[in-house]
Amino acid sequence: MNILIGTVLIWIAAFFAVRHLRRTAPAVMPRLWQQSLQTFLFMLPRVPAGLLGAGFLAALLPAALVDRWFGADAGVTGILLATLFGAVTPGGPFVAFAIGASAIKAGAGAGALVAYVSSWSVVCLLRTISYEVPLMGASFTRIRLLVSLPVPVLLGLAAHVIWRSVL
Amino acid sequence: MPDKDKTDPSEDGNRARDGQDGAEAAPKPRRPFDRGFGVVAALAVASGAGVWVTKGPETFLRIFFEDLGFAAELLPKIAGGIILATALGLALPRDKVLRLVGPDSGIPGLVIAALAGALLPGGPAVTYPLTASLMAAGADLAAAVSLVTGWVLLSLNRTLVWELSFLPHDLVLLRVLITLPVPVLLGLALRWLRRRRQEARS
Repeated sequence: MNILIGTVLIWIAAFFAVRHLRRTAPAVMPRLWQQSLQTFLFMLPRVPAGLLGAGFLAALLPAALVDRWFGADAGVTGILLATLFGAVTPGGPFVAFAIGASAIKAGAGAGALVAYVSSWSVVCLLRTISYEVPLMGASFTRIRLLVSLPVPVLLGLAAHVIWRSVL
Repeated sequence: MPDKDKTDPSEDGNRARDGQDGAEAAPKPRRPFDRGFGVVAALAVASGAGVWVTKGPETFLRIFFEDLGFAAELLPKIAGGIILATALGLALPRDKVLRLVGPDSGIPGLVIAALAGALLPGGPAVTYPLTASLMAAGADLAAAVSLVTGWVLLSLNRTLVWELSFLPHDLVLLRVLITLPVPVLLGLALRWLRRRRQEARS
């Protein structure tokens, strides 16, 4: 049900965006379809692979351990640990989100998940080393990472507190 | 200065548009089966084998069909997300955005930089050159960090396409909402630090 609502909302938004584009810049319409198709074909094998990996991994993860270290009761320890794991997770978005999905299935809390996703987003070793340092320079990268350092932990704590008070 | 403002970013804007693509990806035409896919596939095969061995074939098959069905249910949403993200990227006036993020743009400049990072689609091969050309055109470090942070933490494209595919909607919404001010706050922190250092020097 959740998926259906999301699908409908996204298609409504997509409809208006496409209509706007067709009115304002009809020349780019072929590029829109071509790029969308390319991206879709790129994702087609990755989504089932990522979901299967997440499902199997969740079944293998000892739920008691995940719950103890990353569950809602783990609090700050879980958030710090998740931040650490996020920073060292290699690979693209589907790797990190698949791992996050497994952890949620195995009982991880909102704080740990948000800390993990944020930390992976900020650091993302592969992207930082192969793109940011060569394109932006080591100094820019260092400054950006330094000011971003507290972000995953603070966001994790905020998510933890809000999630608890909402539920 | 005005000349530079005009030529550099727009040139890069064109280049960026040609190179733009749906997800975080390499600059060259993407091969459908690259190393990233290899990692995920290996992870799925290894953990699948682990489940087969430790939990038995029944559990393996149950998870296998459950998640394949889930993937099939997600595909229409993913297709919609891709069309939405691609259309937004083509509709946004990239060159205008770049001109708005000048050195004396204050908080609005940081907000625009952060929004540009979050909304403009494209992988690292697009966003970093864009940021670099912006700095060359006179934007300060704070605006550049706001843009890169807006992109890494709040990329609309990645959230629509990947995050919503894998994680529960309510958690994604919570994460996005509490993350919204972060890119601007980091930019403000950098400007504050620079001011303090200048004061200490004088």
